Amino acid sequence: MSTPDYMQCAEDHQTVLVVVQPVGIVPEDQFFKIYKRIASVNQVNIRDSQRLLFIRYRHHYPPENNDWGDFQTHRKVVGLIAVTTCASAKEWPQTSERFHGQKEVYGSTLYDSRLLVFGLQGEIAEQQRTDVAFYSSYDNCPDVEKRVEDFVESIFIVLESKRLDRATDKSGDKIPLLCVPFEKKDFVGLDTDSRHYKKRCQGRMRKHVGDLCLQAGMLQDALVHYHMAVELLRSVNDFLWLGAALEGLCSASVIFHYPGGTAGKSGARKASVSQAADAGKRHRPGAQEVLIDPGALTTNGISADTSSEIGRAKNCLSQEDIIEKYKEAISYYGKYKSAGVIELEACVKAVRVLAIQKRAMEASEFLQNAVYINLGQLSEEEKIQRYSILSELYDLIGFHRKSAFFKRVAAMQCVAPTIPEPGWRACYKLLLETLPGYSLSLDPKDFSKGTHRGWAAVQMRLLHELVYASRRMGNPALSVRHLSFLLQTMLDFLSDQEKKEVTQSLENYTSKCPGGMEMITLPDGLKLPPVPFTKLPIVRSVTLLNLPLSLRPHKVKGPVGQNMSTKSPFIYSPIIMHGRGDDRSKKIDFQWVQGDVCEVQLMVYNPMPFELRVENMGLLTSGVDFEPLPAALSLPAESGLYPVTLVGVPRTAGNITVNGYRTSVFGVSSDCLLENLVGVKSSGCMLEVVPSLPRLQLSTSLPRSAHSCGEDMSSSVCVQLFNGETQQLTLTLENIGTETLETLDVTSKVLSTKEKLFGEFLSWDLNQAKSCLPLKPGQSLTLTVNIRVKLDFSGQENLLQDLNDDGISVTGLPISSPLRQVLKPRTENKPVSTDTSKTEFSHIKTLEAVLYFKYSGGAGQVEGYYREVTLGVKVDVEPSVFFTRVSTLPATSTRQCHLLLDVFNSTEHELTLSSRNNEDLLLHASECQRMAIQVDKFDFESLARLQTQSEQTALGSSSRRQQEEERQQAQGGYINSKLDIRWSIPSLRRQGEASVEGVLNQLVLEHLQLAPLQWDVLVNGKPCDCDVVADCKVGDAVPLEVKLTNHSKNTVGPFALTVVPFQDYQNGVQNYDLQDAITFIGSNTFYIDTVNPSDDSVCVGALLFLYTGDFYLNIKFQEEISAGRELPPAWFCLPSVHIKAQEAVEAAA
Amino acid sequence: MAVCIAVIAKENYPLYIRSVPSQSELKFHYTVHTSLDVVEEKISAVGKAMADQRELYLGLLYPTEDYKVYGYVTNSKVKFVIVVDSSNTSLRDNEIRSMFRKLHNSFTDVMCNPFYNPGDPIQSKAFDSMVSGMMVQAC
Repeated sequence: MSTPDYMQCAEDHQTVLVVVQPVGIVPEDQFFKIYKRIASVNQVNIRDSQRLLFIRYRHHYPPENNDWGDFQTHRKVVGLIAVTTCASAKEWPQTSERFHGQKEVYGSTLYDSRLLVFGLQGEIAEQQRTDVAFYSSYDNCPDVEKRVEDFVESIFIVLESKRLDRATDKSGDKIPLLCVPFEKKDFVGLDTDSRHYKKRCQGRMRKHVGDLCLQAGMLQDALVHYHMAVELLRSVNDFLWLGAALEGLCSASVIFHYPGGTAGKSGARKASVSQAADAGKRHRPGAQEVLIDPGALTTNGISADTSSEIGRAKNCLSQEDIIEKYKEAISYYGKYKSAGVIELEACVKAVRVLAIQKRAMEASEFLQNAVYINLGQLSEEEKIQRYSILSELYDLIGFHRKSAFFKRVAAMQCVAPTIPEPGWRACYKLLLETLPGYSLSLDPKDFSKGTHRGWAAVQMRLLHELVYASRRMGNPALSVRHLSFLLQTMLDFLSDQEKKEVTQSLENYTSKCPGGMEMITLPDGLKLPPVPFTKLPIVRSVTLLNLPLSLRPHKVKGPVGQNMSTKSPFIYSPIIMHGRGDDRSKKIDFQWVQGDVCEVQLMVYNPMPFELRVENMGLLTSGVDFEPLPAALSLPAESGLYPVTLVGVPRTAGNITVNGYRTSVFGVSSDCLLENLVGVKSSGCMLEVVPSLPRLQLSTSLPRSAHSCGEDMSSSVCVQLFNGETQQLTLTLENIGTETLETLDVTSKVLSTKEKLFGEFLSWDLNQAKSCLPLKPGQSLTLTVNIRVKLDFSGQENLLQDLNDDGISVTGLPISSPLRQVLKPRTENKPVSTDTSKTEFSHIKTLEAVLYFKYSGGAGQVEGYYREVTLGVKVDVEPSVFFTRVSTLPATSTRQCHLLLDVFNSTEHELTLSSRNNEDLLLHASECQRMAIQVDKFDFESLARLQTQSEQTALGSSSRRQQEEERQQAQGGYINSKLDIRWSIPSLRRQGEASVEGVLNQLVLEHLQLAPLQWDVLVNGKPCDCDVVADCKVGDAVPLEVKLTNHSKNTVGPFALTVVPFQDYQNGVQNYDLQDAITFIGSNTFYIDTVNPSDDSVCVGALLFLYTGDFYLNIKFQEEISAGRELPPAWFCLPSVHIKAQEAVEAAA
Repeated sequence: MAVCIAVIAKENYPLYIRSVPSQSELKFHYTVHTSLDVVEEKISAVGKAMADQRELYLGLLYPTEDYKVYGYVTNSKVKFVIVVDSSNTSLRDNEIRSMFRKLHNSFTDVMCNPFYNPGDPIQSKAFDSMVSGMMVQAC
């Protein structure tokens, strides 16, 4: 006996063995269908004896095992059911022949046999035989079960008779010696009459009877017989049979203790019919009988009744004893090499019992022992079977690791090199079963949490084996999946060399079968989830990028507070804001635009020791139609963090969520979802896509500046101008988008600068551009912008520093040479050293401004979005001319004055300066000249009045100082416009204006201002001013009229004026002693009463010249009465009167 | 002396495993891995009886043809496994116990290191050299 039945369990001892075999040609599936139906009759309730008979069916049973039937009767084939196909009656004799042949094989032990013939029906002329049944077809055989039951009953009858026969004839004839096959030759020539021999015969027979009783369902009898057998055999040291008797005892006890069976689920017995009937009491059939006649022991059941329990206790082994006896039995078996199979099977049975008792440690000892039982030369198939059953048993006792180990050994055995046809499929299947034992699941999600913790070395080995097995199975998709799993989960444990090898073989496999993201389902239903390569490369952060500044959509602001009111009734509440922060945290506060390329930046690094090529890297999004534009990248070995920008175009508007990214590495494409990634920093992945907007491209007539002035500028131009120059900038705006541009708005902003800027820096006329709207895609429009720089011409900052303390005062000092002295060496220095040239450059001032073009159109406009393109304008202003000094000289007329400007040409070119009604002034480089311009005095009051009227409405609340400044500025502008000073550099053909606005100070302004008190002196009724000489005749009374017009806001006066006549000899001598030359008619003092604002007052007197001559009248204020002391002296500026007195004749001539 | 020494975390993954370099490392991985079945069984069996004062030393886990596997469990359920060559019959139980005690002391030192993160593989040099001392030199 060489083939162990690893499926055996203790309760198999009480079964009878029936072999079901096909005879002739029977289709396999049909046979197994019938076999299944037959096998369903595995326990039969014998009608009259209330006993249960258990049947074990085998479709294959080696006849040499049958030879051990005497040793343990459940190994004996007692029934044969043959299944055959018989197409016609002609074949019948042949079939019948074969059946008989089949019977011969097990002939010595068979109690009964049956033949099931399919295909014929009643066509056989032969008389009805009980052992043959005819069915027309495999599908039409309703009473197979019934027939099998009958058959079993007939077997029972034989069994029962045998039992009774053996049990009773102990005193009669000589008891034959039962023996196992290998013993037969040992007993040749032994003394059969010795006591020892007889005892041995008796003991063996007892054991045999015990077996029969057990099979026949008489448990108690069996126990008794086994006990007796043990005692008999122990005394004669018949160890093999002693072992068998002990095992029988154990089996019977196990059957008693564990009516549910020990074989586990697959072998679980059907609950017997009667048990179901009164399950509550757990009564077995025959329990009643036990009570009535305990001695009869005709029950196979157990009873909950203690009375019967007591009677049994002495026979039945306790749970601990069972194991003890098993150990003993196995140790006896171990003495015989040929009983290896028996020993092995006993171990297996004991383990099953122990598994039920949950005594894993002891069970493992039995198994350990079983491993070492040598069964001689085993075929490969048997080895596999043995290892897998070991694995199964280890699993049963909860030793999953050990179980996995043996399963793996079994798997390896399947493909051992000695096997001509390796069973890769079986190997693969077994390997899959080992996965739980190595705590390995094939779902990469289980490994994504934290660092991998497990038996990496062992697991890697297993995965390698899976890969290899699946490849040999001819399923490259599977091996790709396993290999990518290996790479993904075990990356940390692979050495550099292994990484190379694994990726190389992965590339080899994928060249045949690219890996994808679909679930692979194995034929046995196991699903292999896809393995995304989240570690190749490793992504550290995901950032959604805003659109470039010029393409960013802006929301048209609604009425103030509209947003607020919808959110909360409170203007501000930290609690609500905080709570809102959570659900908003994922939403990003900028927008993408439909149809525009949007970017997401990933920071990745390559953990591999070689260059990693990632292909088809694209974004995975949801919510909006998104067209990803995949990129390919190549990451250097062990790279640091490496920025990768993935782009795509949203095709519709709405909320978009970036879920992850897609890669293709080593031919495996993977979808990596961000939610499954560990350690990824992300600032949120959801944002809004607004409907499409037009796009404007801006080009300018001026060269673009190399560096952008501000980072938030789309583009910028740079231009160099002389102070005061004006430049035209032509802008071309082209609609390069797909939407029609419908609105355009231009604004500008001068970036805060320290320089004082006069006039408007940038100016344009939008009307012409607007007439081009709407602008269709591809069309363009132009806009002209004037750049006008007018900075301070005073040059105080630069020059005054140089002249620091020469106490410059606007009016007083003569033109000083220090300026030239200081400046000249500077200009000479210029080419010598670059350092100084740099400081020289500081003269160049920079002005920056931004032009904003807001535009919108298409669907985005409907939603209230617009775009803004900006143009930075940077102007380097070189100084042109400076007014180094400004002073005034009173002109001859009180209504006029001379403005003296010291003009300095700071350029390196010749420069001409012109002003209104003045001839041009030529200035060489770095030359300073004085320029005098006669100007009418200005009536600022009226100007201010005009201005304040308009300003008061606009800037009601501006501070006084500001107002003052503005007033001064306005005055400056006014003066400047009157002066209209222009410069031009003929060599460069450039020209511009020069403004005195910043130069004028308060004092000058006052001088230029027309005093609010206007004094008019009339001699002889003619107005008399500085240069006008009034003629009068000697002897005639000359009326002198002084008229005061009050333009100020307050009433002035009263004033007292004294007229002092004098003669100027033009040599510095003035003669005031003129009492005999001039006589006043009346008083020489004029009194002017209080004059109300915008009123006038006149006082009249008269003079009488007694001699001819040139006289001057000096009109003075008498200080005592002068109430207008607080008024500025400039207000009391009366014209000097020049009178020429002549003889009447002279005058006539 | 030992041919393989392993420290296994509470969750049954290896914190440290070292074997004599001459033999296949994988084999020892398998040996130690399968021995965990027995360790677990022993812990659960003992745990039921007296949870507080159980013996840390588990004794011989299982013998194989070539090796004997011994186990030891700390109170924090960290397991130590020592694999000894079967041919080395001179090794007594007491010696094995003292080896485990040494191992436990050294492991405690490792745990005391504030920079050691419990659950991470042990990379301590002191521990390593102690283990080296226990391993066979000749083999």
